[in-house]
Amino acid sequence: MAYMSMGEAHRRITEYLNNFSNAVSSQDGSSLKLLFSLSYNSSFLLSLSDALNLFQDSNRLIKQSDHYSQFSEIIVPLFRALQSYRLNNLVDTYLAFEKSANAFIQEFRNWESAWALEALYVIAYEIRVLAERADRELASSGKAPEKLKAAGSFLMKVFGVLAGKGPKRVGALYVTCQLFKIYFKLGTVHLCRSVIRSIETARIFDFEEFPARDKVTYMYYTGRLEVYNENFPAADHKLSYALIHCNPQNEANIRMILKYLIPVKLSIGILPRSWLLERHNLTEYSGIVEALKRGDLRLLRNALQEHEHGFLRSGVYLVLEKLELQVYQRLVKKIYIIQKQKDPNKAHQIKLEVILKALKWLDVDMDVDEVECIMAILIYRNLMKGYFAHKSKVVVLSKQDPFPKLNGKPVNS
Amino acid sequence: MEKGFIQRQRQRPSSSSSSSRSHPRKERGHFNPNCLNRSKSLDSAPTQGQGQGQDQGLEETSCITGTCPDMCPAKERAQRERLRDLAVFERLNGHPAKTSSHLAVKKFCRTISVKQVHASDVRPLPVLEMTLNHLLSLLSSTGHPFEVVHDFIFDRTRSIRQDLGLQNIVDHKAVHMYEEMVKFHVISHHKLQSHGNDPDISSMQYLNHEQLTKALLSLYDMYDRTQKFESRFINEAEYRSLYVLLHLGFRSQQIGESLSLWFCQLPLPIIKTKEICFARNLLRYFQMGNYKRFFCTIAAEASHLQYCIIAPYVNEVRAQAVSIINHGGYKLNPYPLGHLSNLLMLTESDMESFCRACGLEIHIDDAGNKFLPTKQSTFCHPKGGFQNYSFLGLEHFER
Repeated sequence: MAYMSMGEAHRRITEYLNNFSNAVSSQDGSSLKLLFSLSYNSSFLLSLSDALNLFQDSNRLIKQSDHYSQFSEIIVPLFRALQSYRLNNLVDTYLAFEKSANAFIQEFRNWESAWALEALYVIAYEIRVLAERADRELASSGKAPEKLKAAGSFLMKVFGVLAGKGPKRVGALYVTCQLFKIYFKLGTVHLCRSVIRSIETARIFDFEEFPARDKVTYMYYTGRLEVYNENFPAADHKLSYALIHCNPQNEANIRMILKYLIPVKLSIGILPRSWLLERHNLTEYSGIVEALKRGDLRLLRNALQEHEHGFLRSGVYLVLEKLELQVYQRLVKKIYIIQKQKDPNKAHQIKLEVILKALKWLDVDMDVDEVECIMAILIYRNLMKGYFAHKSKVVVLSKQDPFPKLNGKPVNS
Repeated sequence: MEKGFIQRQRQRPSSSSSSSRSHPRKERGHFNPNCLNRSKSLDSAPTQGQGQGQDQGLEETSCITGTCPDMCPAKERAQRERLRDLAVFERLNGHPAKTSSHLAVKKFCRTISVKQVHASDVRPLPVLEMTLNHLLSLLSSTGHPFEVVHDFIFDRTRSIRQDLGLQNIVDHKAVHMYEEMVKFHVISHHKLQSHGNDPDISSMQYLNHEQLTKALLSLYDMYDRTQKFESRFINEAEYRSLYVLLHLGFRSQQIGESLSLWFCQLPLPIIKTKEICFARNLLRYFQMGNYKRFFCTIAAEASHLQYCIIAPYVNEVRAQAVSIINHGGYKLNPYPLGHLSNLLMLTESDMESFCRACGLEIHIDDAGNKFLPTKQSTFCHPKGGFQNYSFLGLEHFER
């Protein structure tokens, strides 16, 4: 710790207190928010923390003037948080910060206009981030991590404060997104439902009014929920919205959106170009896309196996698995095309034997019963038009459009 | 950005993320895999009808250590004798108002808060083990219809789970007890299905399904919490696989979070076990409609417990298979019934009965061979569901 004199410490603390009261009295949200940004690790706050740890009697300073003492409920715990943060005591930091944030919310309620929203955003962000770090600290000392969950409850309260008719309501989406991040991290995504319901059905909210950045984040998370629940048209709509409206410079975000959008698009029969996968470092999907293009079942299975762990972790494995039917469709179509070149009149009749041979060539172990079963499924799901003849062991395709395209809809169930 | 790849749609966001169909008695899943915040067993909190009450109020209070020496606290015994509230299995010589400490078993009772519970009402681990053994021994009793036995064990094991939760007992003994209790629910899941379409039974089935999933999720929680001390449990993979198999069926209820999310959190060694692979494969065959592999795989690899979970869904798959074949088969090539029955693991006469139940006709040729003509327009799912058919090759699982 750099040497600081008592006088210097006193000066820094007073400076902060002045900044605080000035920010509030002049309704300057951008200045106020800086006073809460612990995780920003600004030198201003770090040296303030040092000052507090040195001075040890900041409460006296706060009481010295009415300008500051009116905010003591906010500032006293905030100072504690800063001190604990500097000493790397994240659990104590979180607890103190939450107390301060609570007091802030009470004041915030009374301020009529939305001038302090920026500060509120910072507080919401800090609550989450500090809670995550506190939980890590708890877990590493063998205790049960429960601060992130507490942060979730706190933010729900904040959401309630913002869910009103006034101008503050545009802040609700930001808080919603912080909640999403918490719930996704905890794995309790079912808790997203109630905020989603509020955002989407409450009359006070008009989605278009929310800041663009928040809308993108919101659509990304709700899109992911749709992927988990395998509602592909809805997932497509939401993730595409996020992609279109995302800042094109933000490569990391674009990649995150595409990571989920690609399996959705594949499920509705739309394939990305390989340059897209390469540009955004999503080559784990390359094998799968290639398998769909070629009708190569072996390639699909290998690609799934190779990246199994990653796909399971991101929750898209079960979606990608289902692409198998489309691969079968493509395989049969290729056989049809080859047959057409040899003898156009007989092309629409495909012996199950031939399909079996093709699969064997791809190292796929199947018997004729299963081939017939797959053919029957393709017909049933409208991926193939025609019929199968059990006795003659042949598939007869319709002469017109025997392999209907998905046209943006998932495979019929 | 690739234009063809992105579809522009200017619609308002649809509220389709709220996918749970609410049912007055349905509970939300409690699975909270990332958060090691262990509330006092997910079972002991009062939750029926309340979505998020599970974790309230039980976190900060200290554990109770139970002191009740009997399967049922003496106070409760005396009260129930007075009120003549004794189950058949608790009656001394059949007397409706007399029981004993060897027969009475503590009933499940929703506790509002841990503070209201007395240590003398809570049974310690050895007593709970004894109680569970007693209850499970009743499963082989033949004097009563299965529903009566089920009902009793259902309630009394729920109370055992509650006592375990109140005392926060989480060790390999508790794990073993949970496995036994889950096994009970799994077997009931199968047995209750075979009792037709009595509305009382179907409500019993629903409640059993509910407790089955609750107990399963608590068991997984216990596996997670004890794995630091013990090496992986022998049965863990099998019991984990049951959760996957519960997602079979076209009308499978939403159990907790989506299966994709569940797999996110499952440790890799478990994912790689043959039991989980079996379950994942089966689910894949089911969702694709691959009846051929579905049946073969069950016949070749299913354990008894796994089969019990799968059994209620088997006829759905058969019906779908028949529908698929009926839809796509060449009209002039009626499908040989013998072959179909082999595929769907039924005897030929059961296959015939099944087809007729689906509203389909069977033809017989001159040589006496039976066939299912295709493109019949009368296919339908029978309103009352299907009767039970044995699964060819797995009759030993169908007790």
